[in-house]
Amino acid sequence: MNAVEVGIIRVTSSCKGCDHCTSICATGAISGEMGEKHHIDLKKCISCGQCLINCPFSAIEDTSMVDTVKRALADPDLFVVVQEAPAVRVALGEEFGLAPGTNVKGKMYAALRRLGFDRVYDTEFAADLTIMEEGTELIHRVFKHLGVAGFEHAGPLPQFTSCCPAWIKYAEDKFPDLLPHISSAKSPQQMFGPIAKTYAAQKLNVHPTKMFVVSVMPCTAKKYECNRPEMMASGYKDVDAVITTRELAAIIKEAGIDFVNLPDETADNLVGLSTGAATIFGTTGGVMEAALRTAYELLSGQTLGKVELHNVRGLKPVREATIDIPIKDLGRTLPVNVCVVTGIKHVDGVIEEVLAGRSPYHFIEVMNCPGGCVNGGGQPIRRDTY
Amino acid sequence: MSDVKGKVLKHGEQTRTMHWLHLICFLILGLTGIGFYWNIGWINDLFGGPANASLVHRWTAVVFTAGPAIYILLNFERFSKFIDTISTFTRDDIQWLKTMGGYIPFLKGKVPPQDKYNAGQKILGWVVILGCLLFILTGFPMWLWRHAVSPAFLDFCYTVHFWDAMIMMLAVLGHFFLAAIHPQSRVEFSSMMLDGYVDAGVTAHHNAKWFANLSKLE
Repeated sequence: MNAVEVGIIRVTSSCKGCDHCTSICATGAISGEMGEKHHIDLKKCISCGQCLINCPFSAIEDTSMVDTVKRALADPDLFVVVQEAPAVRVALGEEFGLAPGTNVKGKMYAALRRLGFDRVYDTEFAADLTIMEEGTELIHRVFKHLGVAGFEHAGPLPQFTSCCPAWIKYAEDKFPDLLPHISSAKSPQQMFGPIAKTYAAQKLNVHPTKMFVVSVMPCTAKKYECNRPEMMASGYKDVDAVITTRELAAIIKEAGIDFVNLPDETADNLVGLSTGAATIFGTTGGVMEAALRTAYELLSGQTLGKVELHNVRGLKPVREATIDIPIKDLGRTLPVNVCVVTGIKHVDGVIEEVLAGRSPYHFIEVMNCPGGCVNGGGQPIRRDTY
Repeated sequence: MSDVKGKVLKHGEQTRTMHWLHLICFLILGLTGIGFYWNIGWINDLFGGPANASLVHRWTAVVFTAGPAIYILLNFERFSKFIDTISTFTRDDIQWLKTMGGYIPFLKGKVPPQDKYNAGQKILGWVVILGCLLFILTGFPMWLWRHAVSPAFLDFCYTVHFWDAMIMMLAVLGHFFLAAIHPQSRVEFSSMMLDGYVDAGVTAHHNAKWFANLSKLE
C-alpha cells in the first residue's frame, strides 16, 4: 500500500459519535451512527481536513510528518529548505495570541531559521509560476475555442484551476470525464519542489539526494499531494514532507522560541521577486484574479491599470463575473466569463453544466475549503470563536 | 386527612406514575449515556451496541421530557402548588439546613418543623427541575441540530449535558439513600413508590407544618 492509499485523515478513539462531521464532509467519506465511533472511507476522503477543524472534540487527526522534519533538521548531512504558503503567515500568529489576520511573515522566517532550516524560501515565487502556466494554458484554450491556428491541441473550455489537491482528488474520484478541463499546471507547492531539487540544488552546490524539501501549508491535503507517486519531476520525491500551520506553531513552541518578540526577517532569494498576485492565492477568488491579471496582460499587451478585480472577490459559494479582455492579435475584445467556487459542496452543479456542454464560463476556480486556503484543514483551530 | 386510618395521602396516583416514569427513564438515560459516552462495551452490548444505546437514549429522552410535560398540563394546579412550596424558604428551612435535618450526627441543634417537603427536598426539587431543563436545552440540539450548529456550541452542549448528568446522578443517589435506605426517612419510599400514603405519626414529626395545615382543613 503506498502513502496515498494509507490516507491522511483519521478518526481517533476519542470520537464521541456526535455525528457533526458527516455534515461537514463533502464527499460522504465519513460514516457512523450517532453514539458510535465514526469511520473514514479512504477511497472517498479527499484529505481536506475540514472534518478535523470542525470536530468539537478534536477527535479527528491528520498524519504527522513532524518527526520526519525534526530528523532531517538534526541530520548534518542533509540540506533542509522550507517553503511557506501565503495563507500561513496570516494565521500562524493566532497560535501565539495575536489577532486573526496579523501578518507574521517576518517573524515566521526568523523562527524557521532558528529551527535550523538551511534556506527559508517562500512559496510565492512558485505561485507565480503556477499562475503563468495556468494563465498561458487558458489563453491557448481560448485561442483554440476561437479557431486560431496552431492551438488545435489545447484542452477544452472551460478551464478549471488545479492548485487545490482536495479538489483534484474530488474531480478524479467523482468526475473523471472532467479531467481534460482541469489545468495541467501543478500546484505552487509541487512547482517549488523540483525547482529546489534542480535549480536551487545546482546553485547551492548541494546534491539533490542531500536536499530535503519541507512545505509549511494551511492544508492537510498537501500532505496527500506530496505523496502522490507522480510528484517526482526532479527525479526524486519533489517535496519530502509537509507540516501544517498548527504543526509549525507547535514546533516553534516546543523549541522555546519567543515568537512574538522575534525580529522581522526576510526570506532567502531563490530566483527573484514575487508578485502580489501570488500572495492572494490563499483566498477564494485569488487564483482567478491572479490568472486574469496574467491573461489580460498577455492577451492585450497592455499593463492592467487597476489590478484588483473586485467582482471575483467575496465569500458567496458560487460567484461569477465577466471581464472584457482586448485581444491584441485578433483585434477584438473577448468577454471572459469566469466562475469562482468556494466549498466543494457547491461545485457539482457547475460541473454538471460543463459536462452537459451548457456552461457559459471560460475559467472556473475551485477551492475545497470555504473561503479558500486561509480556512484550510491545517490552520489553527479556534474553538473560542467557532 | 385520609380515608386510611392513621395514614396521610402524600402523593397522588398521577404524581406517583410520573415519578415512576421519570425514574425508569433516568436509569435508562444514565446507563446508556455512560455506555456510549465512555464507550463501555458491556453496557453498550445490553442495548445492541453504542449506536443502539444512543438511539435508546434519545427516544427515552423524549419520554423523559414528554412525561412531566403531560403531567404538568393535567395537574397544573398541583404543580403550581409544588413550585410554590419548594420556592418558599423560611427561617425554619434555613435552620433545617444548618442542622441538616438531624441526618448528620455531629451537627447538633433542634430540627425545626417542616412543610410538606423539608428544605433538603426543596433544594432537590429545584436541582431536578433545573437539571432536567438543562438536559432538554442541551440534549435536543445535540440530536436534532447536530448538523446545523457550530462545533463550539456542540462542545458546549456536550460539556453542560455531561456535568449536568454527573450532578443529577449524585443528587438522585443521595435522594435514593435518604428516601429508601436511611432508617429515619425510608418510610417515604412506599409513599412515592407504592400507595402514596405515609404514616400520620411520622408526618406529624417530619412535616409538622404541613400536618398542622391538614389537621386544620379537616
